Amino acid sequence: MDRNIIHINVADFAVAVERRLDRRLAGRPVIIAPEGAARAVVYDMSEEAYQAGVRKGMPLARAGRLCRDLVIRPPQPARYEQAMADLLRHALPYSPRIEPGDRDGHLFVDVTGTSRLFGPAVDVARRLHSQAWKELGLDPIWSLAANKLIAKVASRLVKPQGDCIVPPGGEAAFLAPLPVWLVPGIEGPDLIRLRELNLTRVHQVVGLGAARLAVALGRPAAEIDAALRGIDTSPVLAVDQAAPRVALNHTFGTDVHALPVMESRLHTLVATAGRRLRQQGRVARRLAVAADYSDGRRCVRQVRLEPPTANDLALFPAARRALHLAVSRRTRVRHLRLICDRLVFPPAQLPLFAEEGQTVLRQKRLIAAMDKIRDRFGGQAVRMGSAWTG
Amino acid sequence: MISSAASSATPSVPLDTAPACPLRVGTSGYAYPEWSEAGFYPPGTPAREMLALYARQFSVTELNYTWYQMPRAAAMERMLPKVPADFGFAAKLTRTMTHEIDPHGWRGKAVQFRDGIAPLMQAGRLLSVLIQLPPTFERNAANRRYLAHLLDALAGLPLAVEFRHRTWALAPVFDELQRRRVTLVAVDAPDLPYLFPKLDVVTNPDLFYVRFHGRNARGWRSGNMQKQFDYLYSSNELQQWSRTIIPKMAARAHSGIAFFNNHVRAQAPRNANMLMTELCTRSSGRAFH
Repeated sequence: MDRNIIHINVADFAVAVERRLDRRLAGRPVIIAPEGAARAVVYDMSEEAYQAGVRKGMPLARAGRLCRDLVIRPPQPARYEQAMADLLRHALPYSPRIEPGDRDGHLFVDVTGTSRLFGPAVDVARRLHSQAWKELGLDPIWSLAANKLIAKVASRLVKPQGDCIVPPGGEAAFLAPLPVWLVPGIEGPDLIRLRELNLTRVHQVVGLGAARLAVALGRPAAEIDAALRGIDTSPVLAVDQAAPRVALNHTFGTDVHALPVMESRLHTLVATAGRRLRQQGRVARRLAVAADYSDGRRCVRQVRLEPPTANDLALFPAARRALHLAVSRRTRVRHLRLICDRLVFPPAQLPLFAEEGQTVLRQKRLIAAMDKIRDRFGGQAVRMGSAWTG
Repeated sequence: MISSAASSATPSVPLDTAPACPLRVGTSGYAYPEWSEAGFYPPGTPAREMLALYARQFSVTELNYTWYQMPRAAAMERMLPKVPADFGFAAKLTRTMTHEIDPHGWRGKAVQFRDGIAPLMQAGRLLSVLIQLPPTFERNAANRRYLAHLLDALAGLPLAVEFRHRTWALAPVFDELQRRRVTLVAVDAPDLPYLFPKLDVVTNPDLFYVRFHGRNARGWRSGNMQKQFDYLYSSNELQQWSRTIIPKMAARAHSGIAFFNNHVRAQAPRNANMLMTELCTRSSGRAFH
């Protein structure tokens, strides 16, 4: 059966939410940025500001030079979260499979097989749009396609306003004439490489085939080739089935720039994350550290965990590496976020060499002993020495 | 269910009262996944194969996706090889010119629509462009002016107008449509006081156009198409059309098209077949050709 995936996307979400609350902002260039912060950067901006050359992550002072009559509003994450919850509430009656974005105005709704209840998918999409407009004052882009990737590209194509329907089976023909950068999943370096080769349109790259594309990019390219052909089998997750992950936050009382202090706090986060993973009986295949600077800029870096693990002693070196990659600026850090995702069940494969096996076994025993102490005397009862640094 | 045996289906029904007036019967839209569950298409039929299967049984369809999205010439061209050479299309005008009118941008949309629909027009397969106006579109000075401008902007296309608001049911409106050779769509809908009445007026000698929406009065204002168009016409109800109204209209036009919009549970193709059988029986025993 053909799948019917609706993508709802409120362009410039933060600005749209602010405009809903303050009608004077309509039609004016608006920027969302922490105005008082030292070296603040643009968090989000309206279409008018975008047309004037303002971009996300741009220093606020430069944005002000590009667009003289800017209106600046501070970021209000709670408002965006509420607006996301409102959008989700309107979509809930139509499907159990709804995947909302992270306070970004994006929502995938899988309405496959619901036509007997609610009518054609295209009509459901239109209803979602008109409900968002009438009841929330938001004017989202909506698109309908047979998979998430195509629905996302369709939304990007009509941004900042409009709608797009891609009929099932028409994915490749839809993508063929589009610029490559519209297709999600193709990273910056790949785009630069393709541009160097004068390959800017999807049909030009697809014409190469996966093998030659791999040569051109210098790495396996099967995933990119599939994306450019419009193939995406990823499901829309159930609304109560967020991708399993462990995420922990730490906000510094005073913004810091000393790496040892950050590492110390990171160690505490790793210990908690490791314990949660072990309680779930899972191991993580990826670890990410997000550093929020005092000027509002955020830097996220991730590392692959090979083999997947939930052991603090293996997690921490990876977390430290990610932290060093994320904290590369000479600006103080206000907030750290540790994310362990791509959770899987622990691998059954044992270490091949005896010595390696003994090390792993010793580490496991140590962590098990620490867990036992924490279970009995509380989470702070025992800590690694490195967690005390600073 | 459609089978290969049905492939010898019916371009049109010759009407005995007006032998020169063939009538094509079809449905409003054809790509409904639930029609597989209802047995019209084989189970699991992908959407891209539905048109070819539909065309084995009907000789005309009303494209309703063009109401949701501006037609694209490439998509129209891809559609043509899937149907027999004499298969005809009616295309609904896009909602940005009927229900969600942008006062500044609609003229550009009209140009886009013309471009998108051009392959059907060029192939001689476009029987009509349906301008379906919403129930809120009542007859007042602004709306009259808009409709006149819209008809001007789309001049040259075979146009048909379906009103939903009863204030348009006036002789001067019909006269103006006749002057422009624009078809007034005859509708069968629930008998509700605010709806456009059921009329047999023919304003365009080239084509008459009938749309059957079902008579589900309770579901009409539900806001849910599954309730609004959930209706199965009985044989008696269709006979009123096949014996009286359609022959009268056919006597004043060279050709006609009729579409069933009661798509829920594939009732539309069922009723379309019933109407064709009725008309065929009345056409002095002449078979479909």
